[in-house]
Amino acid sequence: MLGEFLHILAAAIISWLLFVTVDIFFRLPEAGGVSGASAVARDIEAGGGALAGGTMMGNIVCSPDASAGTLLAACGVYVAGIPGGLAAALLVFIGNRICHDPGYAGTTGAVLATFVVYAFTQVGFAATDFIAGMVIAILTIQGLSHTHASRLLARLWRVRQ
Amino acid sequence: MIALYIVAGVAVFAAIRAVIEKNTGRKLPYANVLNFAVAGTIVLLLNHPLSLVAAAAYFVGSTLEANAVASTYAGGMKR
Repeated sequence: MLGEFLHILAAAIISWLLFVTVDIFFRLPEAGGVSGASAVARDIEAGGGALAGGTMMGNIVCSPDASAGTLLAACGVYVAGIPGGLAAALLVFIGNRICHDPGYAGTTGAVLATFVVYAFTQVGFAATDFIAGMVIAILTIQGLSHTHASRLLARLWRVRQ
Repeated sequence: MIALYIVAGVAVFAAIRAVIEKNTGRKLPYANVLNFAVAGTIVLLLNHPLSLVAAAAYFVGSTLEANAVASTYAGGMKR
């Protein structure tokens, strides 16, 4: 039982690093993909957060990004192995197009996550650890403190720039 | 099994925070966490290839709704 907890915790850290890296690589903190993302960013900034981090958080809300790709890829690997993960990537791609997202962060994240999750299932992890881990990872960005999360993302974005 | 309870717990937590938060712009990220957790719960409850389709359909649909709500909140389409 403790082992499963530790696996979920490790999966959360791996998922966090994966999706934040991909999102920042695809320049999500730079500009709002849709007007709604900018509105979310404005409100987060008004609440004491950083604009660039808020923009990335707004983009996560408004379109399936690498975080959604990582979650659905983990779900795909859980139900059907690598083909399931790649099917999830296709579904995320369709989701991006429906949401008029110009980028490919979600699809790239899903494909990368498929292989990462599969690799970890070969060394004793379960795909379910990554489903729970990804939910915890997104909770730390979107659900605990918008102020602190947006400032952290803005700091990482400055490193990227 | 623990994974399911963690995900369900996060869903409840996110739902409560989304209800408590008054500012619409800051409410949406909490709702987003709720969507992630519900999509994860669907797959954890039903280990079947089609549950992936159900989770993705739910997730993309809820993202599109969030997109629409946020865009309208921002002032809607400019003509």
